Amino acid sequence: MTPSKCLAVFCLALATLDNAPAQDIRLPQETARYTPSELPGYPLVERNCLICHSAHYVQYQPPSSPREYWDKIVKKMKHPFGAFFPDEDIAPMVDYLVKTYGAERARQDPQGVWPKTGQNP
Amino acid sequence: MTQTPLTTGNRRRFLQILGTLGAGAAVGYPALRAFADTNQRIALPFENGERDLLAFPQKRPLIVQTMRPPQLETPFSVFNEGLLTPNDAFFVRYHWSGIPTSIDPATYQIRIDGKVNTPLTFTLQELKRLADPIDLVAVNQCSGNSRGYFVPRVNGGQLGHGAMGNARWTGVPLKKVLEKAGVQAGAVQVSFDGLDQPPLGDGPDFGKALDIDHALNGEVMLAWGMNGEDLPLLNGYPVRLIVPGYFGTCWVKHVTGIHVLDKPYDGYWLNTGYRVPDNECECVPPGTQTDRLRPVGQYKVRSFLTSLSEGATLPFEREIVLRGIAFDQGYGIRNVALSVDGGQTWMETKLGQNLGKYSFREWTVAFRPARKGSLEIKVRAEGGSGEIQPMQASWNPSGYKRNAVETTRVNVI
Repeated sequence: MTPSKCLAVFCLALATLDNAPAQDIRLPQETARYTPSELPGYPLVERNCLICHSAHYVQYQPPSSPREYWDKIVKKMKHPFGAFFPDEDIAPMVDYLVKTYGAERARQDPQGVWPKTGQNP
Repeated sequence: MTQTPLTTGNRRRFLQILGTLGAGAAVGYPALRAFADTNQRIALPFENGERDLLAFPQKRPLIVQTMRPPQLETPFSVFNEGLLTPNDAFFVRYHWSGIPTSIDPATYQIRIDGKVNTPLTFTLQELKRLADPIDLVAVNQCSGNSRGYFVPRVNGGQLGHGAMGNARWTGVPLKKVLEKAGVQAGAVQVSFDGLDQPPLGDGPDFGKALDIDHALNGEVMLAWGMNGEDLPLLNGYPVRLIVPGYFGTCWVKHVTGIHVLDKPYDGYWLNTGYRVPDNECECVPPGTQTDRLRPVGQYKVRSFLTSLSEGATLPFEREIVLRGIAFDQGYGIRNVALSVDGGQTWMETKLGQNLGKYSFREWTVAFRPARKGSLEIKVRAEGGSGEIQPMQASWNPSGYKRNAVETTRVNVI
């Protein structure tokens, strides 16, 4: 391409762009973390959940959320939402979630209906 | 423990501040509508309602509901700043973390296909020249706005009242775009999809559909402008669907595909997600379920007091002007009544400037506290269809469409 042709193409490109630059954003670094635990579901949740979304989705649910809720939502993440984790991960993930963020949290139950195993965070 | 030490510290501090406001005794559970401290935290008035405030690109610090994908709620004080919600304060809602972070308007295209005479592909510039641009002021409200207030609580995004906003949208009627392609006989719906997508796997891509008559009503539009500027990227840059009077879930962002269908759309986000009980109140007894559901559809009439927040103090016998906003699904607000005695007696308010039937409408009323002590201020709007906000909140299993009369507790000293 000759210099003049090159310039013409450049000017044409500028004209059609209407002076609108591309929009680029950089999202802020994520800070939310799952609460560490000795429960076997903790590393599974770290591996299987964080790959798609921040821990906020879990942390901000009502603390009254029962085991049935966590079971339903974990299964929903696999189907229809397409998460890759194997079926055998589901039970320990649910157990960690309900005991850490839901109705079976140790601190939610001063009467001790849910035993403090020492594994709860 | 589910809370980090930082959170616990902030919570304690929040409670201390609440105590100094004298609101704790009056309201039981900390019921500040929204309260930020210097560490950029805010407490929404329900259990586990503490949130970070963080500035995302093109945004001022907003309430972080989730960081990935970004779901950001507008702090409620913003709604007292003006009838139009500033672009940098407008709420953000995504479904999948596969969101675009770089978009070049020079190469961006929208494809129209399906039951049309001529499938077409438009660039952004071609769209802008396709018809005379129109402006429309319209509220965009999330179906789950105020979900955190449901009793019993409902799972999902635990939002305060800030998943709504009012903007002046600039674009072209979808009707003009569809006419350009030529809708064929037998078309029943039009579906839309955008650039946001599941991050991995075979999850259902986000999409929505409108009935063909709705799509052609001249009010639904493809908008590139928001309050006189380009859409912020997180609000759908460069083009989003505007569906006046309908919940934000169908306002598809970063629109790239428009498909004219000869049979009803079959997509998860319309046919499984975003549904309410299919009965007159769109409700069920609290804590129960139903299989008879329908799409969330249109807004219900709502109103809010914006000039005072929960726990505010008012001087005895000094007249002040109370102010707030109201909106409905597009009939236009007929009147807004205010009660300062918990709903026993009501006074009329004065409606302000009319920016259009889909817009927030301002209301004001002068008030002189005639006795000391705590007051329950309630606001109740009547929409142009005759729909009046209910005093008691109804309940549905997904926590959608709250529109009960809201209460703000203040103290006269």
